[in-house]
Amino acid sequence: MILFFLTSGLFLGWSLGANDASHIFGSAVGSKMISFRKAAIVASVFFILGAVIQGSGTSNTLAKLGAVNAIGGSFTVAFAAAVTIYMMTKFALPISTTQAIVGAIIGWNIFTGNNTDSFTLSKIVAAWIAGPVIGAVFAIILFILLKKIKKSVSIHLIRFESYIKTGLIVVGAFGAYSLGANNIANVMGVFIPAFHLQDLNLGFFTLNSNQQLFLLGSLAVATGIITYSWKVMETIGSNIVELSSEAALIVVLAQSLVLFIFSSTGLSEFFVSTGLPPIPMVPVSSSQVIVGCILGIGLYKGARNINFKVLRDIGLAWVASPVASGFLAFFLLFFMKNIFNINVGSKVAGSIGTSQQIPDSIMYDQTGVSGIIKYLLLGLLVFGTIGILFYILLENKKRKEMQRSEDKFWKNMKQK
Amino acid sequence: MAVFTRTTKNLILKIDEFFDNIDIGLLVFKEAIKDFLDKDMDAFQRHLQKIESLENNADRLQREIENEMITHSILPQHRAEVSTLIDELDEIIDALKSSLNEFNIELPEIPPSLNKIFISLSETSVNAAEELIPAARAYFKAPYTVREKLLKVYYFESETDKISLNIKKIIFQEMDELDLAHKAHLRYIIHHVEVISDLAQKAADLLSGMAIKIVM
Repeated sequence: MILFFLTSGLFLGWSLGANDASHIFGSAVGSKMISFRKAAIVASVFFILGAVIQGSGTSNTLAKLGAVNAIGGSFTVAFAAAVTIYMMTKFALPISTTQAIVGAIIGWNIFTGNNTDSFTLSKIVAAWIAGPVIGAVFAIILFILLKKIKKSVSIHLIRFESYIKTGLIVVGAFGAYSLGANNIANVMGVFIPAFHLQDLNLGFFTLNSNQQLFLLGSLAVATGIITYSWKVMETIGSNIVELSSEAALIVVLAQSLVLFIFSSTGLSEFFVSTGLPPIPMVPVSSSQVIVGCILGIGLYKGARNINFKVLRDIGLAWVASPVASGFLAFFLLFFMKNIFNINVGSKVAGSIGTSQQIPDSIMYDQTGVSGIIKYLLLGLLVFGTIGILFYILLENKKRKEMQRSEDKFWKNMKQK
Repeated sequence: MAVFTRTTKNLILKIDEFFDNIDIGLLVFKEAIKDFLDKDMDAFQRHLQKIESLENNADRLQREIENEMITHSILPQHRAEVSTLIDELDEIIDALKSSLNEFNIELPEIPPSLNKIFISLSETSVNAAEELIPAARAYFKAPYTVREKLLKVYYFESETDKISLNIKKIIFQEMDELDLAHKAHLRYIIHHVEVISDLAQKAADLLSGMAIKIVM
């Protein structure tokens, strides 16, 4: 039953993998610089690493916004966000997973009578606006730097492109890691306060309850990347194909830096130690940040290239996504509680909700789930190894066939 | 990654070798025309064989370059244009070979009074193509300099046209001792030499557009 309640979060994860993760390798795959297979493997592995290692920062912020303290509530909030994303995508309206989940949490706060922490909310909204702006600034600076380096160093175009190709894989891996660290909160953040899993000892490291949830969520994201992102990457590739390969690299790097900044607790602590204000750990919309980065390069090249309609779409998404998702969450919670008689959470006594204030009695202790995760990991390891070996064999076979056909061609030519 | 680096290095070497082939082919062509006008047919035959071997090698390199670019997904955004450029350059060496073959088979009788201007025509026409090669190399290493290098191609092409018109004028208006068939044959041979600069100009137009695209 508990695993059933997780399905809405896993569906959200799948949709995040299919859509948002595509932005990282979209331009590289669309322009045929990297094969989809390679991109999907790198994106999946690094998303999982980012989510498990560094996903807690942004999740804590969402928990501060509203600690959904019953599994039924977590399910409904994630489901409301998922349905909002589906509906808005169906009607071709701009949408962001981040904004949908925040709206749904606020809907839960209103339904259960909890106060919404206005400070946390303002921090989140400020980060949404700052994300694309910082992305644009980073993109401009990095693009100018790369252009200067390219001009000053006389490098062969083919060698330069090979560096760009390698760079796209490295930066894409960093982007996937940052996306995992920043956006896993959207997928699993609402389940954290209501879930308590036994620590999972894997020998060389131990996964705590949150990390196990992040692992499950990121596996759903990886499934989204592998099963559906191909279509989205092709679309993005053809939309962004007018970007040169170096601009594509800069866009992904700038986006990754923004996502990393808003999810790195270490960097935030470093800021504090130098007397600067801390960086808010907030999940930001990767699609909006990437649009900001592309606009930055467009501005640098001359504002004529810019389609200002995308700015209007982002503004609309900032308002429409949370409002729609919040309303839907409120009504779904009403139905879940009154018709299906499921506990969707309650008002947290005292001040604004944090996970520490949730009574233990309504938290779930699922030791069995940890066991499932352990076997899931083992299975993945086995299938992953088989998959990699199969891929290498296939590539070798293709190369040999190509060589054979080439040799045959020149042999025939010589005979003529 | 090491495999990829090796592929890149091989491809760069192959492109350079291809350009070298065209460059040497142009030098050989100039020498072959001089040999023909000096009636040194042994040297002419040697140069013709050299051109044939260079042309064959250029064809092989062209195919290998295109194959490697496709197989290893190299330069996906510029691949089509680079392939067209290499094709255009290959057409130049094809034209050199076919032009020398015309000389070899048809043995045109070029009046000795036209020798000097004929050498000038072949040198100017070949110069246009020779100036194209550094521009094509620059596309890969310093695309900012391509357009300035191409200016010389356009200059030599227009000079070739002028010399060609001049020779034709001399043949058809001043050389009454030649019959019409002889004049028409000479015009045909002149066209075969002139076409080298026309092909160079065609490739220069393409290269110019490619350079703008890559610099932007």
